[in-house]
Amino acid sequence: MVRTCLMDLLCLPGRLFLNFLIYMGQLAALLRELGIAIKSGVWRMRLVAHQIVSIGYGSQVVVVVTGAFTGAVFTAQTYFKFKDFGVETGVGAIVSVAMCRELGPVLAGLMVTGRVGAAMAAEIGTMKVTEQIDALRALGVHPVDYLMLPRFFAMLISMPLLIAESITFGLAASYCVVVFGFGVPSAWFWQHVVEHTNEQDIIYGMIKGLIFGILITVISCHQGLTASDGAVGVGIGTTRAVVYSSLALLICNFFLSILLNYFFPLGTAM
Amino acid sequence: MAQSPPNSSSPFISVRGLTRKIGWQEILRGLDLDVHRGETLMLIGPSGEGKSVLLKHLIGLMKPDSGSIVVNGTNMTGLRERQMAPIRKQIGILFQNAALFDSLTVEQNVGFPLVESGIRDRKEIEQRVHEALEVVELAQHKDKMPVNLSGGMRKRVGIARAIVPRPQCVLYDEPTAGLDPIVSDVIDQMILRLQKRYGVTSIVVTHDMKSVFKIANRVAMLKRGVIHFLGTPEELRNSPDPEVQDFIEGRSGVTG
Repeated sequence: MVRTCLMDLLCLPGRLFLNFLIYMGQLAALLRELGIAIKSGVWRMRLVAHQIVSIGYGSQVVVVVTGAFTGAVFTAQTYFKFKDFGVETGVGAIVSVAMCRELGPVLAGLMVTGRVGAAMAAEIGTMKVTEQIDALRALGVHPVDYLMLPRFFAMLISMPLLIAESITFGLAASYCVVVFGFGVPSAWFWQHVVEHTNEQDIIYGMIKGLIFGILITVISCHQGLTASDGAVGVGIGTTRAVVYSSLALLICNFFLSILLNYFFPLGTAM
Repeated sequence: MAQSPPNSSSPFISVRGLTRKIGWQEILRGLDLDVHRGETLMLIGPSGEGKSVLLKHLIGLMKPDSGSIVVNGTNMTGLRERQMAPIRKQIGILFQNAALFDSLTVEQNVGFPLVESGIRDRKEIEQRVHEALEVVELAQHKDKMPVNLSGGMRKRVGIARAIVPRPQCVLYDEPTAGLDPIVSDVIDQMILRLQKRYGVTSIVVTHDMKSVFKIANRVAMLKRGVIHFLGTPEELRNSPDPEVQDFIEGRSGVTG
């Protein structure tokens, strides 16, 4: 009995690694199917438009509120510390760079994961367990073509715009806190924002948004397409979609930051 | 893709040595079956013996562990998902729970196969959808969402969706289960009409013995993973096999 438990414990890392490899293989296979679907040229633009409304338009409130309050609180904390050194007018520079490069994309990505990733996994998962996906297949329609491709395109279009919104409202909130809350002159705020932020920082954030959008779509659709065991299975798939997407997003964000910094180095503002 | 030219004498579907395990349970154990063109084959047998599993294999929704399935001259085993689309377009299927797309209206559900097959003429789609809904007597419910339909109505919409692309073969998974006797008769007559007018091959999984004797050309009884009995309804009725007779008569052997 003890020996069996010990063996199980020793096997656990290997089993986890094997499961991870299997999962990666499944995601790669799904990406391949997505590639074939894109190449086929049948893009169902009406479904894409419908998904843009659902993903992009529908996510605006959460993204705007998240961006605005993150910008506001980050501004306040930065101001309190900067005031000690007498450089409180420089808050705008820090906030704008942080919002463009990290806070805007990451927090908008996480909010979209919670809202859209969960919805994707739940909707597709429910279709799977109620045989609607089998019905699609039986009618000669590949589920990736019909379900995943429109969501993928909608995400590619929506994510950069949502991130732009998040950054904009973050900066607007920061302006309000600094100028109206702490009495820093408006001109100083904008001077620092414009001086220390350039279009490269914005492109940097947009690229991150695109990659996050792809991650969220692939991971969430995969969870939906592999759901089983009825309502419980859909629930598990939905939870996994949010957890896996969030973790993937945060881990990927680190490596992306390092990589993108080669192409768009920080501190090269004119 | 092994393909041989179909001729009118060759079976529309030919199954050889089909085996399939689900988990540890061996559902199909070397099953052989030929389905002839234009015939109505009723598939009967106790619940949980793999009738629906067999039906899903015939349209490629499940892959066998071994054996072969040839549909209209094309060997389906070993084909990739995307390669199956042309074969699947020759076959319509009614799922046990209808499997309607719940984000689409009845009309959109029935029109779905037409839109996806590339038909863009809205009038043609509307007319064919109307015809299919007329067959199942649901034309007046075309604007409803599936969630607002009864179980029987959902099943009839599922039938309309299966027949609207005018397939050569339709697979029905318990088409009359849960329906009242009048609607069951409507479905039976519709299967007969499709066979007579368009020469549609039908494979019907059912427990409704009344339907079996009304519309079947041949009956196959699935038991222990193989075809236990295959013959005409008359041969079924006169079969000396006690298991067949128990099934027809609904005798469980349990006494109260």
